[in-house]
Amino acid sequence: MRRVSGVFDISYIQDMTIFRTKYYSAGMVILILFFLILPVFGSEFWLTFINSTAVTVIALQGLNILTGYCGQISIGHTAFMAVGAYSSTILAAQFGLPFWLCLPCGGLGAGLAGILFGLPSLRVKGYYLALTTIAAQYLIIYMIKTPFPEITGGAIALNVPEVNLGGFVFNTETHFYYFIMIMLAVMTFVAKSLMRSHYGRAFVAIRDNDIASEAMGINLYKGKLLAFFIGCFYAGIAGSIWANYVRVISPDDFTLTSSIWQIGMLIIGGLGSTMGPFFGAVFIGALRESCVICGPWITSIIPQLGAQISASLVEMSFGIAVILFLVFEPRGIGHRWEILKESYRLWPFSY
Amino acid sequence: MDTRGGKGMITFVQLLVIGISVGFIYGLIAVGFVLIYKSSQIFNFAQGEMVMFGAFLMWSFLVPLGITPALAIILVLAIVGLAGYGLERFPLRPMIGQPILATIMITMGIGVFLRGLALLLWSSNIGIKFPSIITEETISIFDVPISNVTIGIFSFGLILVILLSLFFNYSRTGLHMRAAAESHQLAQSMGIRVTRAIAQSWAIAAIVATVGGFLLGYVRGIDFGLSEIGLIAVAAALVGGLESFKGAIFGGMIIGVAQTFTGGYVGYGLKEVIPFIIMVLVLIFKPYGLFGLVKIERV
Repeated sequence: MRRVSGVFDISYIQDMTIFRTKYYSAGMVILILFFLILPVFGSEFWLTFINSTAVTVIALQGLNILTGYCGQISIGHTAFMAVGAYSSTILAAQFGLPFWLCLPCGGLGAGLAGILFGLPSLRVKGYYLALTTIAAQYLIIYMIKTPFPEITGGAIALNVPEVNLGGFVFNTETHFYYFIMIMLAVMTFVAKSLMRSHYGRAFVAIRDNDIASEAMGINLYKGKLLAFFIGCFYAGIAGSIWANYVRVISPDDFTLTSSIWQIGMLIIGGLGSTMGPFFGAVFIGALRESCVICGPWITSIIPQLGAQISASLVEMSFGIAVILFLVFEPRGIGHRWEILKESYRLWPFSY
Repeated sequence: MDTRGGKGMITFVQLLVIGISVGFIYGLIAVGFVLIYKSSQIFNFAQGEMVMFGAFLMWSFLVPLGITPALAIILVLAIVGLAGYGLERFPLRPMIGQPILATIMITMGIGVFLRGLALLLWSSNIGIKFPSIITEETISIFDVPISNVTIGIFSFGLILVILLSLFFNYSRTGLHMRAAAESHQLAQSMGIRVTRAIAQSWAIAAIVATVGGFLLGYVRGIDFGLSEIGLIAVAAALVGGLESFKGAIFGGMIIGVAQTFTGGYVGYGLKEVIPFIIMVLVLIFKPYGLFGLVKIERV
């Protein structure tokens, strides 16, 4: 990794530090302070937007590990979110387990489901694996909807009990804001650290060429299944947080369309970088909100277009955004961010 | 439903025939899918949206605009063919040589865009149907009551498949497309324009999807749910092996029959997911399908 001019690493510990210079640390402190005092000034609308975007970012970090780093394409990520949401809700509602236990259990359940549907990745890859994950999406939602309606609530909505953490009840946007932000910071830090460890390096090797990486002594099966476990664990945690945040979940919240949206966010943000999920989720979230705001305004000018204009604008702009990014900037906004950082480090010399 | 004795047998045969005729439509749509995969190694996840869009387009030419059926059908097929041809130029040509995830997402982006466009144009048209061309009546064949619409769809699909196979075996364009599918480099060195062959395969796939949408819309009405056929067609293509036209038709029939049987004997919920169960089983036990080519990879 390149440093700012004049900063030299003279030990391995310095070489591995994430916040190497004083300016980085100061920037981080300012950022944390900004997010700490944000609820005091931010309106309800902004807090809701930040909360839902942050939950999406947690899920995207998992998808980034699975698809961005390990190269195992998953188009069924929201189904694993559903597994996390439903298993934590059922544990809380039916067995009365406390929230701090339900959350990791949701992640664990989703991770195990991920391993199950990751098993075909040992034999097939590329398009075929993508099809397996699409099938996983449909099969998981079917399992929630049909066979055990008395446990999972069937096709109708399931109520989630109130979050109670040691006597403290989470019931406002602000409470959830702090909780989700802390979770986001922790999960991002863990993801970043994992991808710098030898597991992360093994994932990248598997992505670049799985047969060559096997020849170099990487256990392919272990690596792929581990990637599926970690990626789906993140999805499960995100799903569990989401369930407790919105308090009502139904199978229709976790569709193939939303899985496609998540992959699209990751591509727009940039695959295989820690900042990618943040950029992608914020970009698409902003795009969606602006379409929803613009829709009624366009209808007031051209009334013939009908009532569904917001929904159709959202879909069309998403499709166009994904296509344009893939053609003109396939490495996403994250790549632009890296270029910006690099030019800051080298400033005022461009070489 | 009575499943005992002779009546049960009739239900069985009836379900089989319906399954085969619906599966024929799936197979037809899967042929469009296989065509694109063969010529450019791209999975077209927008096939279902093309089916839905084609059906809506055909409906608006037939009903609100009121053009005579023969002219309307020719016009719509020409429009979707041109649109498919144009899709190759942008955004698919820049995708040559890109990673698999990029090609998956570009077709999904096209699909999401088409769905948004359809929502913009036709969201107020709910519960619409094509004008009936033949009056529905039930014919008894060996004591099994079968609707003549089913027979009509079956024979129409059969004619289309025969025409397609004649096209690929004897016409110059069809042979060029098959050559391009075999190897881009070899075809190019023999003087075949590969990009044009790929564009033609997209055009034909779009036309086939529209015809499939017309047939399917004729049976079950036109709505946005038609786009789900796309993934079922993928399952059909996968069962047959991705490189084979006859495999696609055959796979479509297997999926169709499995769907009507589970729908008839088990329940609606399972009917929705049975294509995906079959898909996972095929992927685990026979990833290259019944008629597909086994790929050996070396580093």
